Amino acid sequence: MEKIQAFQTNSLSEGIMAFARFARSHGMNIGIQETQDALQASAAGLLTNRSMFKNALKALFCTSPEEGRQFEKLFILFWDTNPLDLEERKNETKLEGSVTKKTNSSLVMLGVGKSEPSDEEASNVSGANSEERLKKVDLSLLNTMEADELEDIARRLCRQMAVRMRRRMKQHRRQGQINMRRTIRKSIASGGEPIDLFHRLNSPKKQRLIVLLDVSGSMDKYSFFLLRFICALREHFRQLEAFVFSTSLKRITHALDKQNLGTVLKDISEHADNWSSGTRIGECLQQFSETYGKRMLNGSPVVLILSDGLDTGDASLLGAELQKIHRRAKKVIWLNPLKGSKGYAPLAKGMKAALPSVDDFRSAHNLESLLELENILSNA
Amino acid sequence: MILENLNNPEQLIRFLDEHQYVADEELVTSLYLLLKLNKPLLLEGPPGVGKTEAALVLSQWLDTKLIRLQCYEGLDLSTSVYEWNYQKQLLGIRLQEGSDLSVAEKEKQIFSDEYLLKRPLLSAITETEKPPVLLIDELDRSDEEFEAFLLELLSAFQITIPELGTIKAVHKPYVILTSNRTRELSDALKRRCLYHWIDYPDVAKEMKIVKKRLPGIEQHLLEQVVGYVHQFRQKKLVKVPGVSETIDWAESLMALGLRDVNKEAIDKTLGSILKSTEDIALVKADLIAF
Repeated sequence: MEKIQAFQTNSLSEGIMAFARFARSHGMNIGIQETQDALQASAAGLLTNRSMFKNALKALFCTSPEEGRQFEKLFILFWDTNPLDLEERKNETKLEGSVTKKTNSSLVMLGVGKSEPSDEEASNVSGANSEERLKKVDLSLLNTMEADELEDIARRLCRQMAVRMRRRMKQHRRQGQINMRRTIRKSIASGGEPIDLFHRLNSPKKQRLIVLLDVSGSMDKYSFFLLRFICALREHFRQLEAFVFSTSLKRITHALDKQNLGTVLKDISEHADNWSSGTRIGECLQQFSETYGKRMLNGSPVVLILSDGLDTGDASLLGAELQKIHRRAKKVIWLNPLKGSKGYAPLAKGMKAALPSVDDFRSAHNLESLLELENILSNA
Repeated sequence: MILENLNNPEQLIRFLDEHQYVADEELVTSLYLLLKLNKPLLLEGPPGVGKTEAALVLSQWLDTKLIRLQCYEGLDLSTSVYEWNYQKQLLGIRLQEGSDLSVAEKEKQIFSDEYLLKRPLLSAITETEKPPVLLIDELDRSDEEFEAFLLELLSAFQITIPELGTIKAVHKPYVILTSNRTRELSDALKRRCLYHWIDYPDVAKEMKIVKKRLPGIEQHLLEQVVGYVHQFRQKKLVKVPGVSETIDWAESLMALGLRDVNKEAIDKTLGSILKSTEDIALVKADLIAF
């Protein structure tokens, strides 16, 4: 399809349609319905004023503030390209017989082309094979591009996981409130006596989850990705509390509310002066029990600890504190990235001290092992 | 009538202005499109920037009913669409006992309009006089299942009740959905809606808003209040104050007869703008550092 710009079109409706095509070719999701609406809007008297016209198209075409910003750029690019500036080139292109090439090069000049390729790459997530491969790759061995891709996969799978878990819980529960609607409906057969009672299934309660992530130096290779994973979890478990710890504990639940992972990371690293330093797990757990324990260990949540267990603090304190938490939690799960490597045995003194109070000790070195969480959490 | 005379968004701006709602051109255009194309409008933004208020003002302008559905986790069809009035149905069945109606007739009577409790969504569709404004508030709090149900309603404007059949909208309601973006809404829903993101206003606009609400406020106090609030928003707070909190704060300062935002005034009234002990502690510590 030929990419044309505003000055190349003859009427406004043609221009709008061309703009929709233009925006679509830049990765915006604009269908026939949106284009039609835009034409209708232009007929409804929104033509008189340029900014109004822009706002109207924006309301129709965008679905998030990020897209809104992209739209602003595209709008200027499409409608404001001055034909006079391009006059010479246009003639040239006529000679060469290719318009597309020129529009592309002008894109790069304006700095829009720069961000483009990465967008395209992200949307063309490669086939199932590489997905399977990525799921098995050790997280410490990922490069940045793969990390982004893996994050996409993780987000998608987490969503599926959360839905599946909910469905499963629905089957588990037996009886709840009486379902009046069905009971009355069926009582007509017996002359209005509600003989058979029908029950409504209890709406499934989402599992409460507390996540403690180790961000000490030894976890460095894993912690950034594990944090991404927690972000993905957060989207689907609304009752999730998250903490990072190394030498001290920091609550990051609120930081995770922000949609953009980049800002989350920035936020957290600003606060956490202890990112990638030594580890005192015992003291951090103590701090957790003292400050948050009363509030958060109610109603027996599942506690998830992501750490390699290489503790520089007092191992006996770690054992005692974890035991305390264990008593109040439904389940304590320890995910250790090191467990995935061959020949690993929990010999570190911290890990040894912790194990008696851990219900489930698992590896967390690749996405596949993280996704096994589904089984653990739904059985909890 | 108003609608037929509406030819450009400027009329809307003027009206909103008269009704103490300061809107920028972008929002007004979205509202205008909502009226003209009759598509639902999805307003997203942080809490307290006037998303709900927009629906309220719109219903005032159209001089029509505002029907509001507040979403929450676990919201289901029986609380949002319809429910049968069971007690009345039981009585109805008893009363029918002596009559010689056939079973089919009896059933028809028990499941008639008379025994139906209309919840917000159904009453929005069956409104007979003129199209109402339907506000679906904080949609991000509801479950995905409910969102999927809304899809049907928003595209066809009809609801199916098994016992009664399909009910079509008499007048298509003007639908405004709001969301705080605590989770991403589904693409399918977004594609059926117009979209507008409302952000915190800049200093000038916020001053205009406060002035609109509190015409008696002194310029000096106004500038100080809005200035401080903008400073607060820069900080990493647990709960960032919205515009409504700014108004509350200005109002409480005025009620106490304070004409200047100094340390003492802040000490007394900080609770009306910051709603968490951690935030208050943080701001107070910063003030001491000044």
